[in-house]
Amino acid sequence: MATLSKQDIGKILARQGILIAFAFFIIGFTLANGRFLSPDNVMGVIRSSAILGVMALGVTFVVISGNLDLSVGSMMSFSTIVVLDLHDKIGPALAIPAMFAMTLCLGAFIGFLVGYLKLNSLIVTLGMLSAIHGLTLTYSGGQNMDIADKDGTWFDVFGQGTALGIPVPILIFLALAALLGIVLAKTPFGRKVYAVGGNGTAATFSGIKRARTVFLCYLMSAGCVATAGLIQASRSMGSQNTVGQGLELEVLAAVILGGASLLGGSGTIFKTVIGVLILGFIQNGLLLVGLQFYVQFVVTWIIIILAVWLDIAAKRGKLWSNIA
Amino acid sequence: MTIRTTLTATVATAAIATAGAAFADGHSPMRIGITQNNVGVDSYQTTYEQAFIAAAEANDNVEVVVLDAGGDVARQIAQMEDLIQQEVDAIIIWPTNGEAVIPAVRKAAQADIPVVVTNSNIAEAGFDFVASFSGPDNITQGSRSAEIMCDRFKALGIENEAQVVQISGQPGYTTAIERAKGFEDRLPEVCPNVTLLETQPGDWNREKSQQVMEAFLVKYDDIDGVYAGDDNMGVGALNAANAAGRTEGITFVGATNFAVGYEAMERGEYWGSIYQSPVDDAEAALKTAIDLLNGEELPFLNYFDTPKITQDNMSEFTKPVF
Repeated sequence: MATLSKQDIGKILARQGILIAFAFFIIGFTLANGRFLSPDNVMGVIRSSAILGVMALGVTFVVISGNLDLSVGSMMSFSTIVVLDLHDKIGPALAIPAMFAMTLCLGAFIGFLVGYLKLNSLIVTLGMLSAIHGLTLTYSGGQNMDIADKDGTWFDVFGQGTALGIPVPILIFLALAALLGIVLAKTPFGRKVYAVGGNGTAATFSGIKRARTVFLCYLMSAGCVATAGLIQASRSMGSQNTVGQGLELEVLAAVILGGASLLGGSGTIFKTVIGVLILGFIQNGLLLVGLQFYVQFVVTWIIIILAVWLDIAAKRGKLWSNIA
Repeated sequence: MTIRTTLTATVATAAIATAGAAFADGHSPMRIGITQNNVGVDSYQTTYEQAFIAAAEANDNVEVVVLDAGGDVARQIAQMEDLIQQEVDAIIIWPTNGEAVIPAVRKAAQADIPVVVTNSNIAEAGFDFVASFSGPDNITQGSRSAEIMCDRFKALGIENEAQVVQISGQPGYTTAIERAKGFEDRLPEVCPNVTLLETQPGDWNREKSQQVMEAFLVKYDDIDGVYAGDDNMGVGALNAANAAGRTEGITFVGATNFAVGYEAMERGEYWGSIYQSPVDDAEAALKTAIDLLNGEELPFLNYFDTPKITQDNMSEFTKPVF
């Protein structure tokens, strides 16, 4: 085997900074608690992360296109409440497509505002975060939503089922990640997303329909949110109106942790998946270590910031920036 | 980020229209204003408001102004000032925040308007300005949950080796702190040999509690009891145990009996809880304000009873509506 030169190692590090950070966490937590890497726990963490992960896949598209989506948390509450309510009224087979249609309408509305009307995505989705929350509460009248007959339905398959010994949420997450990974990396649409986020003006002059690309990104994000809501609803078969509250920031953290630039134009689905897993394993690891929960908040975010630093340091080949 | 339903405004108008029509013995009715925490955010608060309006409508001597702060401290303070301006006879407040509303409560007290705090008390620094607190006694609830748990362990004959985990409410919330304290203080008194292995917050959230319980199940091979700060979280923990096939042999005890908790008790998976009715809560608050205005002597802490409910006695209780 050929020996690696110092430069080669540097290049590998530069590409995989976040993976190396991930490996550090895993080793650290395993030393702290031997059960951390037990198959049950690993499976449990990935299953818990699947909901966040599915949402993060869609948001990756939005972020690469140079926009933000802060509405995904309350949109997920909306889909969860709607599908649970409709389940008892029109049956699961109709409730699921109806919920997808309603959630996609919300995504289309946001996509229209940001894409075609060119409104600032931060303001639009921040507003939608509250507006959709209000919509959910109006829909439910503030009541918790529960499926009445929890044993007499096949609806639990998405959140609680297993296939080939693997929990269905994980399968959905991985299948969607593979599909969207190919869409982003290998299709003309994917390249347009990068172009629009990297340099919107140049993209427009190259004949790319910028508004349409942004619109489609939000539509995909909404589709992912609806899928997440479906898993969530099926997993607990009942829900509060606030089930997705605060998830928008965790989703964004996972996407950024995966190395996507908030300015748009860079990021990959694979790295977002790694970002999601890092978040999931940090939270689970701190629980297993048994740290006081106030301390957990602090430690979680210190680790996230360290990971982002490590990633950036690896990309530029040194820990500090030359520009003062 | 708390721009929430403003439905209350219309509800309030309707309530005044119906309740204000009557005059008792030629006197003008008592005008009582209420500013609630966050109607619509959960079923408990929604039911509370409905019960409050119904109780006021049933009483010809009372006219109510019903407001909702939408979880927003600033809006609640503004609503307090509005009620003071309107010169209502008494104000009931469900604090959005135990500290931040104190200046507004003081302002009402200085305007000689008695203030009743409902459901969750404000911080002690503000007690001088409060005429009475009406609500559940969360410390007692915590200790009653400990008793339910201990009695069950004794019935199962495992009171000398049982191990318990606790899933508490949102860190920093008075209700969460008090329930945890009540439970932690009482458990060693009634069952000195039971071990409390660990406490982690479930943030009043079913999904979060499910994740916390999953981690507990990985970490501890032997869990005999789970105490959750409310049934919503308790059911989340139950879901995790069901998924891991470890429900058998675990005693689940919660607080604030929810419909989902009641149903899980019917199925025999969930042992017990504390029955806290938002209807009782709302009626107690209104009654406290009326009694104060009638010049009755009331204790400062005016608790309404929240009894124990277990699989054994649940037939005496109706299923909660929330």
